[in-house]
Amino acid sequence: MLMRSGSTIDARSTSWALFGFANPWFQIVFSAMLVTASELFIKRGAMVAAETSASWNWTGLGGLQSVWVWWGIFFVILSFLSWLYVLKYIPLTVAYPLSCVVHVFIPVSSWLILNEAISARRWCGIVLVLIGLAIVAKPVARIEERL
Amino acid sequence: MTAVSAALILTSLVAFIAGQLLLKRGMEATHHGWRQPQCLWLLTTGIGAMAVSFFLTVGLLQRFDLSYLYPFQGLSVIILAALGAITLREKITLPLAIGSLLISAGVVLVSLS
Repeated sequence: MLMRSGSTIDARSTSWALFGFANPWFQIVFSAMLVTASELFIKRGAMVAAETSASWNWTGLGGLQSVWVWWGIFFVILSFLSWLYVLKYIPLTVAYPLSCVVHVFIPVSSWLILNEAISARRWCGIVLVLIGLAIVAKPVARIEERL
Repeated sequence: MTAVSAALILTSLVAFIAGQLLLKRGMEATHHGWRQPQCLWLLTTGIGAMAVSFFLTVGLLQRFDLSYLYPFQGLSVIILAALGAITLREKITLPLAIGSLLISAGVVLVSLS
């Protein structure tokens, strides 16, 4: 059991939520995946909207004409709900650094799906984030094993 | 960068961190039921703070490059860890501190290039 005053993960909540979709640790990754999906949709929608040359295009509101942007908004809302669920069970000082996995997901998926280039410096950043994530997640994995 | 821009960047960062702390407290309060006035108040102000941070960022993005503004987001990991320890009384272990520092540095590098 992970004991932290004010944010104790009690046995009742973890016993049923340990595996599967309701696992709050899985929800951190799921939330980051939803953010990544929303960013990809919004980028795609913004590129479509940029082709229309309305005088109020600078506001970004032109993007709302694209169905892709609405999908992006839908995924942002889902990720927020998922994040609220995470906050209910996991200490913020652990959950927030782990949510930074999104800074790996977004550049890598932009590279794979949108064919955007990743510079050497950005690869270094991605590797640093991954090492940091591994260090933060290791004690967590040990706690999960003991449960 | 003018003093006004610096103040706006700082306000946006503070609002984001305050929002996360308020949401965390709000969601903890839901363990005792959703209908408590305290829980609703915390969640509403938390969402309000996140909204302030979001619109300030959109405004700042009209004047600055994303690669210039985003590294400040990287700092939020360290600041949030410190404030989480103080205001939420969460325990910061050595691996957590080292991991958070590396993630912070990594986020800054990812967004600089």
